[in-house]
Formats: sequence, structure tokens, C-alpha cells
Amino acid sequence: MALTPPAPPAVASLACSGCGAPLSIRAPGRSLVVACGACGAVLDAQSADHRVIARYEAKRTVTPRIPLGSRGTLKGETWEAIGYLARRTQVAGVTYTWFEHLLHNPTGGVRWLVECGGHWTLAKIAAAVPSAPGPLEVEYLGERYRHFQTATAEITYVVGEFPSQVRAGDTATVEDYVNPPLILSGEKTKDETSWSIGEYVDGDAVWKAFGLPGEPPERTGVGAAQPSPFTPRSKTMLMLLAAFVGAALLIHLLFAILAQQRLVLDAAWEYHPPAPTTASVESEPFTLTGRSSNLMVEISSTLSQSWAYFTLTLVNEETGAARTFGREVQYYFGRDSDGSWTEGAPWDRAWLPSVPAGRYVLVVEPESPRPVTYRVRLTRDVPRPLWLWLALGVLGVPPLFFWWRQWRFEQRRWEESDHPRSGSSGRSDDDE
Amino acid sequence: MTKAYAVFAGLVLATLAWIHFTGWSPSNVTEDKAVPKSVRDNPGSYRSSYGGARPYTGAK
Repeated sequence: MALTPPAPPAVASLACSGCGAPLSIRAPGRSLVVACGACGAVLDAQSADHRVIARYEAKRTVTPRIPLGSRGTLKGETWEAIGYLARRTQVAGVTYTWFEHLLHNPTGGVRWLVECGGHWTLAKIAAAVPSAPGPLEVEYLGERYRHFQTATAEITYVVGEFPSQVRAGDTATVEDYVNPPLILSGEKTKDETSWSIGEYVDGDAVWKAFGLPGEPPERTGVGAAQPSPFTPRSKTMLMLLAAFVGAALLIHLLFAILAQQRLVLDAAWEYHPPAPTTASVESEPFTLTGRSSNLMVEISSTLSQSWAYFTLTLVNEETGAARTFGREVQYYFGRDSDGSWTEGAPWDRAWLPSVPAGRYVLVVEPESPRPVTYRVRLTRDVPRPLWLWLALGVLGVPPLFFWWRQWRFEQRRWEESDHPRSGSSGRSDDDE
Repeated sequence: MTKAYAVFAGLVLATLAWIHFTGWSPSNVTEDKAVPKSVRDNPGSYRSSYGGARPYTGAK
């Protein structure tokens, strides 16, 4: 026997008992009241005469973003907008307004599509009452939610039909707990407490689902339940950083193992001033082998409370090419009111870059106000740790920037809560 | 961003390997000798005992 889908419930049309405006009941049997947006009358949706059971002064008319009667598919189910209300709360003298669209599906029940500052959540009645493991958190179906804010919400406008008694002026204490993209809301009145669980929905998805014209309202700040675009990639970023740091260490280690690091010259000389014309000394010839690589130059001396400047020239005996460079060594020490102090060191180290293979001599021309004994050592192909540290620093910049943005995103989320995070640099309304 | 970071990090690592291989360095190995001899012979001149306001000695 073939199953046929149930026919959609008939829409009942009626005239408002208060002002005669046309009204519809799109969820007969489920709706308890129907509110007239024109005059503020709240009618009994289940009685035959649809009598007025409450009335409020409709000071203004709010046009629902999703017109009543619109149908759309969200989260895999088709919904029809049947009710709409506006609510507000005051925090520190500032009035915040948000809007709730009641959606209905004959088999799926009802959902609340809540819009606040361009952020949307699709909420339904919670399946269980949350427990409170801590003062600022609740647990619901095994997940923990952090307290976001508590406020007194007042209904300021209502239109359409609802499965419960609602009227403008009704107030309730609303507690929100978040675990993005979910938000758990408790609504307390003097009679009852009800809980709903909502999930963040992108405004574009809402617009597309209901075929609404134009663009969704611009988002302000970060929504309470808005999922962070950074959180899913944070672990990946950490793993990438670890992998790249490991690779940098490996590269350095590999070159440290494979590098020649061969001492090619170790010579010591003495300098006695003033002898500028006879101070120049020349080393024994030495040979550099292998590919072009660096040459580490180390100068150690007997300097004390003095300085020496060394002009060094590396001469390729085969080609005659010469590379001249200068190094200064100075070493002072003493004691004053701040305690002991030193300046400089009696030694120096430098790396001569990209020196080709060949037979060389080193010419040294020292200059110093005092006699000095110095020693020059040349070591071929020595990996510089400086490049490793620089590489590690540069590799860390993008993740640090990423994590700063992630932190900033959360900071902006909690700026609007009862628990703003410290270090706020002011409210920012740009989108994420 | 993770893809861009992977590309960026790949370039950094390649540069590190190339620098290690060739011994290249962007810096000048020569140190400046422009500091006057009078300064070089008078170390620690920036220290507190040399600085600060001079004592008031009276003025007309």
C-alpha cells in the first residue's frame, strides 16, 4: 500500500475581532493565539469566534524580515513563518532589540529563528533541562555551555500566531549560555522556566532558504553563538608550526653534520705601537676546498682596557682576488655606583660569506694604542645558528598573527556579554 | 590561511637550506671604525656617573 504524504493543513482566514484586519491561522490545532499586528489585539486561535483575549497598544508596526507565510528549507526541513515578535532589553542604559520569527512545520513542530544584530540562530525547545556543574556554566546533553548574559527581555511587538500566550509587554528573565555554534537559552517567568537550544545560522543561508530579496542585514560585532572561523584551524596551525620548526631544526642539524667545519688557519702575532708601516703580517698559504661556503674568522687577544682594529684581507693566490674587511676588538671593565661593568670582549667572531675554493693567504693590519698579542683562526664552512634562530622567528610570525586574530575574535564576542574579557581595545563593529 | 602559511614556511625553509649551503650572508662583515679615538679610549661615557645635570654653581 503506497504511502501518501499528509496534505498540508488548511490555512484559516479570519478578520481581526478588534480592527477587522485580515488574519491567517497557518498552524491550526498547534497555535494557541494569533496576534494582530495592526491593532495589537491577541485573539484566541482555538475558539470558533476568535475572541480577543488581550489587547495592547500597537505603537508601531514592525515589518518582519521574513514575511508571514513565507516558506523555506533550513537545516534540511521546510518551515513556514507563522509568527513574529520583537523583544528588547536594557543593559547599562542601552536598549538592545532582537527579533524572533516563529517557524512551523506540520511534522517538525516549531522553531524560533532569532535575529540579533544581523546574527541568526535557529532554536528549538531543549530536549532536557540543563544541569549546572558550576556557577557560570551549564551542561546539556554532555556538552558544557558558558554563561554569556542574563537580561530581562520585554516583548515590544507581536504579530502572527503562537503556540503559547504571548503579548506585548510580557517580560521574562533570559539567560544565555554559549558553546558556539550552539546557544542554550533559559527563559524564566513567574510561572515557568523553559529552555531552548539554538544553532547559529548564516544570514545568507536564511535569505537563500526563504528566497528573500536583497541582502541579509549587516552583522555587527561577533554574535554570541557565531562560530569562530579560526578555531577549526587552530590545531592545524599548531601542527604546521611544529612540523616546520622540526624541519628547520633538521635542516640546520643536517648541515651541521655535513659541513666541513675545518680549521684552515690558526696563527698568532704581536703588535707593538706605534708601528703602522711594519704592522702588516701575512699568514702561511692555506687551501679552501669544496663548494663556495662561508669562512668563520675568530680573533682572540690579550686586550685589557683597550681596543684594536684589524684590517684583514683574504687574498686568493691563484686569481689575485682580494676581499678586505675590518673587525674591531675592544674590552673594558670597571666598577662604579651601579656595580661592576664590562664593555666588549677581548675576542671577536665573524663569518665571511660565500668564499670560493682556492689557495689563499690572510693579510692582517692591526691598529691599537697599546701592545697586543692576537690570534686569528679561520674555519671553513660553519653553519651559523643565527639563520636557524631567524628562520624559527619568521616561521612563528604567521601562527602568532593567526592566534592573535583568534583571541581578538573571542574578545569581541565576549565584549557584549556579562563577562567581557580584559584588554579590550574598544568596540569594533566590523564583520568577520 | 594554513595553505598560505605552508607555502610561506616552505620558502623560509628553502631559504634556510640555501643560505646554509652557499654560506651567503646579507650583512657587511666589516665593522665601522668611524667612532673617534677619543670616544673609544673613554668607555662607559654614557653611564650614569657621566650623565645627569651639572651641579648648580651659581650664576650672575
